[in-house]
Amino acid sequence: MRQFSAMMLDAYRELNARKLFWLSLAISGMVVIGFGSIGFTDKGMTIAYGIWEIEGPFTTDSPLTRPFYMGVFSYFIVNIWMTWAATILALVSTTSIYPDFLAGGAIDIVLSKPIGRLKLFVFKYLASLLFVILQVAVFCVGIFLCVGLRLGEWNPKIFLAIPIITLFFSYLFSFNVLTGIVTRSGLTALLLTILFWFSISGLATAESILHSFKVEQGISARESEKKIEETTARLEALEEEESGPTNSRRTRYESVISRAETRRDESLKLETTLNKWHRPLQYGMWFLPKTSETVGLLSRALKDPSGLDIMAILEGEGRNNGRSRDRQNADRVVREEVEGHSLWYVMGTSLAFEFIILSLAAWIFCRRDF
Amino acid sequence: MDTPNGEYAIDLHDVSKTYKGKVHALRGIEIQVRPGEVFGLLGPNGAGKSTLVKIMMTVVIPTKAEGTMLGKPIGHKPTLGRVGYLPEHHRLAPYLTGKQTLEFYAALANVPRATRKKRSAELLETVGMKEWGNKKVGTYSKGMMQRIGLGQALMNDPDLIVLDEPTDGVDPVGRREIRDVLLRMKDEGKTIFLNSHLLSELEMVCDRVAILVQGAVSMQGTLDELTVDSQRYEITIKGDAPGWAGSGEAIRIEAVNGMTRLILKGAEADPVQPLIDKLRAEGVTIIAIKPVRETLEDLFMRAIVDPATGKQLKLGAAPTPAPGTPPIGEVRP
Repeated sequence: MRQFSAMMLDAYRELNARKLFWLSLAISGMVVIGFGSIGFTDKGMTIAYGIWEIEGPFTTDSPLTRPFYMGVFSYFIVNIWMTWAATILALVSTTSIYPDFLAGGAIDIVLSKPIGRLKLFVFKYLASLLFVILQVAVFCVGIFLCVGLRLGEWNPKIFLAIPIITLFFSYLFSFNVLTGIVTRSGLTALLLTILFWFSISGLATAESILHSFKVEQGISARESEKKIEETTARLEALEEEESGPTNSRRTRYESVISRAETRRDESLKLETTLNKWHRPLQYGMWFLPKTSETVGLLSRALKDPSGLDIMAILEGEGRNNGRSRDRQNADRVVREEVEGHSLWYVMGTSLAFEFIILSLAAWIFCRRDF
Repeated sequence: MDTPNGEYAIDLHDVSKTYKGKVHALRGIEIQVRPGEVFGLLGPNGAGKSTLVKIMMTVVIPTKAEGTMLGKPIGHKPTLGRVGYLPEHHRLAPYLTGKQTLEFYAALANVPRATRKKRSAELLETVGMKEWGNKKVGTYSKGMMQRIGLGQALMNDPDLIVLDEPTDGVDPVGRREIRDVLLRMKDEGKTIFLNSHLLSELEMVCDRVAILVQGAVSMQGTLDELTVDSQRYEITIKGDAPGWAGSGEAIRIEAVNGMTRLILKGAEADPVQPLIDKLRAEGVTIIAIKPVRETLEDLFMRAIVDPATGKQLKLGAAPTPAPGTPPIGEVRP
């Protein structure tokens, strides 16, 4: 415990000495100030502490206001600032921690102390996460106060952002540690980590898009099948009538059935093709960290009790926007599927990945001569 | 000093290290260091000195290592709590102050908080850094960092102190101060293992030395033991040597700047007395009489020369030895 406390204190002092830590904290403060500047009146919403007033549905008493304000936090602030900008700053800040730690002359003294290498590795790793923990903790206090003062809702769930964002960062940082130990270069480790991050994000996006198209084709095939059955039934009903269908009506029905069959066959064929591409990606993703889904856990936790997802509505859900009904249904199904992923799937598989990467890094660290 | 299961503070047997590419950094090192002594390890660049020290401190993993340090097997981590170590070219965190540095490393050595506070204040004074204790290490000169490095090695009040080039970058005044600190530690009964290039420094403080050449111990023992063959008395007289002086095998004659030097082999003063009497009886003017032995530098130079060819041995790590090749040189434990 004494050794762990010493390493945590050292990590804090190291962060304290880094300008980026304070820069990141200052930007976080500005984001909180911006978030806090959104207010609500009887007529609508105010921005910049009342400088601008926007009349609209988000009034003090509106049931839409709470999901809107929380949505701004979980969708925009967390997804854009915390997940991207602040994470890049955190990676830049922490990327040299391990290479500096392993530098000749520095590691010698530490290794000569009565502390095992594995323990040292784990302590250093946990201490390195302090950057994100402190940043998010300070940020959450600000957001907690904003939400409390603006909505009168003192929601402790906001503090879930601390473990969730730290967990998300730890997936990337574990890879950063491995590359830092192998290459002993902070810059190389940073570039490789960002490449890895973008790669898994790209793969996740590709998987999601393919999945969405696949689902759309499935829906389309089912809709076509339904249409075939309905039209056939209608045609058969007409056939049973004494007068029977007129030729032109029969032709129209047959034409509808034929078009639906063609569409169904095309959809099924496309679904099979998409499935061939999607399946390997789906299995591959199973082994990779789920960065977006992990951050998405916060949105899940902060979801409005009424089930109203104002941000999804603002993003266009329920509106046509030139998209087919099948497309809209597919998007909804995929979103429901993603939100239905168990914690074990989202966190468990990601932590398993992190564990494997860290085990490899620790193995190299424990066996290396310095 | 408590050294259970053995009389040596350090007792190394068959310590070997082969790096990738079959580079034999160490080949069956045998070194014994007694409790309370100052032991000097020397050797040319690449001889394996730092590798040996790093193996003792668990910084390098040996290919093979038997033996003990403070009575426990080499690599026994808890024992390192009783050891202080200053590596060569050490790097200290620039964001910590000197005092924080001492306390941080002491905490890693499991020193309680109250003791850390007390010891850091004492040691800052001991290593001459009291005025600089609250300034950031990043602002220190190399000599100051060396002093703080030495301080951190002493924070856990170690029984064994292992120092790799402790006076590197330190000015002559600082060297003397560090030497005084080491001698004080020795007086307190601590064992000091010193790795240094500065032979004169080692000669002043070391009880015993070992010389490493090509990853093997070439010589080991006290300076007296290692220089016994070279010990002699030199009598410098005015003018030429008397006729009888060159007739015996015991006396060697050298002419030096109009004077003559009579050289008698051996460390004992008794055999010299009759010769002095004889010279005085003949009215020969005796300018100087002094006992002489090889300096550590002489010894070092002798160690790195191949006795068969008289040429300097190839420095650096040893090439792959033929099976059964014995270590180089003599060992006098």
